[in-house]
Amino acid sequence: MRKNIKFWWIFPFLIFGAGFYSVLVRFAKGLGASTHLSDRFPWGLWVGFDVMCGVALAAGAFTLSAAVYVLHLDRYKPLVRASILTGFIGYLLAIAGLMVDLGHPYRIWHPLIMWNPHSVMFEISWCVTLYTLVLAMEFSAFLFEKLRWGKSTNAARTITVPLVIMGVLLSTLHQSSLGSLFLIVPYKLHPLWYSPWLPIFFFSSALALGCAMVIVESFASSKVFKKELELKILSDIGRVLVVALAVYAVARAIDLFDRGALNLALVPGFERSMFLAEVLLAPIGPLILLLMPMVRANRFGLFMGASMTVVGFILNRFNVSMTGLIRSSETKYFPSWMEISVTFALVALGLVLFGLAVKYLNIFPLAKPCLSEGQTCTDKPSCCLPTGPRLLIAVFWVAALTLIFNGIQDFRRFQPKDIGNAEVSVKSVNDKPRDYSYLPKDLAFPRSEESPGKVTFSHDSHLLVAEKCTDCHGKQLGILPGRAPRATDMHSAENCGRCHNGKAAGDECLSCHKGDVSAK
Amino acid sequence: MRKTKGFLFDVTTCALCGACWVADKEKNGLAVPAGEFTEDELSDKSFLVIKKRQGRGVRFSCMHCLNPTCASACPVGALQKTEIGAVIYHKERCIGCRYCVVACPFKIPKYEWTKPLPYVRKCDFCYSRITAGQSPACAAVCPTGALVYGDRNELIQEGRRRLKQNPSGYIDHIYGEKEVGGTSLLILSDIPLEKLGYPPELSENPVPSLTWEALEKVPNVVLLGGTLLTGLWWLTKRRNEVWRAEHPEGKEPAENSSDGRGGR
Repeated sequence: MRKNIKFWWIFPFLIFGAGFYSVLVRFAKGLGASTHLSDRFPWGLWVGFDVMCGVALAAGAFTLSAAVYVLHLDRYKPLVRASILTGFIGYLLAIAGLMVDLGHPYRIWHPLIMWNPHSVMFEISWCVTLYTLVLAMEFSAFLFEKLRWGKSTNAARTITVPLVIMGVLLSTLHQSSLGSLFLIVPYKLHPLWYSPWLPIFFFSSALALGCAMVIVESFASSKVFKKELELKILSDIGRVLVVALAVYAVARAIDLFDRGALNLALVPGFERSMFLAEVLLAPIGPLILLLMPMVRANRFGLFMGASMTVVGFILNRFNVSMTGLIRSSETKYFPSWMEISVTFALVALGLVLFGLAVKYLNIFPLAKPCLSEGQTCTDKPSCCLPTGPRLLIAVFWVAALTLIFNGIQDFRRFQPKDIGNAEVSVKSVNDKPRDYSYLPKDLAFPRSEESPGKVTFSHDSHLLVAEKCTDCHGKQLGILPGRAPRATDMHSAENCGRCHNGKAAGDECLSCHKGDVSAK
Repeated sequence: MRKTKGFLFDVTTCALCGACWVADKEKNGLAVPAGEFTEDELSDKSFLVIKKRQGRGVRFSCMHCLNPTCASACPVGALQKTEIGAVIYHKERCIGCRYCVVACPFKIPKYEWTKPLPYVRKCDFCYSRITAGQSPACAAVCPTGALVYGDRNELIQEGRRRLKQNPSGYIDHIYGEKEVGGTSLLILSDIPLEKLGYPPELSENPVPSLTWEALEKVPNVVLLGGTLLTGLWWLTKRRNEVWRAEHPEGKEPAENSSDGRGGR
């Protein structure tokens, strides 16, 4: 056992080391050197996962706080602390991810004083800042309690309700606004995901995610920290999860149907696979599973339903912020290893912070410690779940993973079309000769000393010999319009001399030097 | 209010000479890359390109929209639509979030990907020149009149005049007159612009209105949501008090609805 632990230690070092290295490269050499981002695909994994998912996965904090402190559903109280902790960590990591992604991270406070109320990003900045403060205050109560600062603890307790109400409002606003962010790309986001209802989808899925995360982290903690929670409470949350998933599912279906986008789910391409995988994992799969009382009442079933929801909605955020934008981007974005390493490091950091908090603070107040080490907390891990639901769980996972695998295969085969540069032969309405009436008037050059006669340049006479304007202009920038050759170097190869080099027919001096011949 | 300025670009008269392209480089102090100028792409080092499409020269640069998507997206107001028509960039405000790059329907703002502390770069309509009464560098050098600068309204009249004068020579459409609520770069062409690399099927509805429809509800959500939540808190608090009064021995209120068939 001991040996194993030592060996596994290499992984945290690798993960944090790689992440740290990537951050260094990002700030030494820029985003181009560290990421696969480009002007065509300016937002990638750091926005799509670190920010979008970091915030969404933290939604349990406001959901449960609202249930306990606003709706007085006291039976959920044992879970509030864990959800606030997850929320706080989630927001800190989202901000950390943003600091790496922003061009000027030291200006992250700018939106607070430089207002643009028309910007969704501005609204999100404000809400996330304020809500992180709210979470910090809620979290500080655990610290004060640990430090036995009675007064501060009491002070924190008296402002709980207004703080929670504010937190719920702020969360409602920015969880939905993360969806509103993409309302601005109607011409870029694939119609399977672009919808005027994006804010509603993001909010309702955040509610579901909040519930699902509470279930998942409770079970994970019970495994890791040997702290047992009442399954009954979690089953009840499973019911709330069903309602949230149902609302999301109906809204999503209405919208896809109304916009006539449902048939797009049949059009081959990586979008189809990713879309089907997404809706299978959330909402369809967990909805079917958790509607069954025997699944809800079962530890394994509940965990599976909740984790399916989590993975499905992560996939949803990926699809909205990345998959759905690839086709219009004329490029093929896939995160670089440095982007992936930073994200992994942040996730690992989150797990470490969660573990430390559970170890040193009272995060699971009512949890009972397990009998002895080595013995799992589960009296019956999965055995009492009938074969039917178990088979269903397996089918959902296998189907979803197959779809994702297919999607990745489709994506690898996908050739981005350079829409702009594609030379499709198009017939013009205008196949007549061009109208040259816009050309500048004749240009008379001053006559120099040795000149046999004044030169007057005329576009008209050149149109007879030159087929295209570019025969003279633009070819390695020979003759620049608006900058006529100077009288002294007209014979040079860059100017008139390029063609009038004495070899062409009719290249006698007087064919150009026509004017004022007598005056010499 | 001063009249909003604009460009009128006529694809049919562009000579593909590259003078505007060089003028952009010179005005903005950008390096001139080797090779054919039509191969140049919009980037942080190139704010204006002329692409050779279907044998014609097609200009790509900031459209200076009347209701710019980038300016509405920017959380710090670093992009600003000025009265004279130019959409300008205040680099000292920029936090580098790239929402403008994501948002622009014409894919114009470009980012300095190679710099540790990057800024957004794009055409600024030669703001310093036009506020001094000059025309933008590119329009000043255009030899064929394919690109003319002037009051946007007058340019629309001029565009209509050309369409009327030579109806068979043009697609009967001034691109940019209505697209995304109107742009300051207006384009005439004999080939549909979406075939030349411009985004197709842009609605006349300005893009920022889409996010504003969601954002304008924020105050209402706060007021109504706050009232609703406080009300629920008040109601459920009362319910629990009543329950406690009726069940002095009870310890778990509001439990009556819970799932009795729980796990074990």
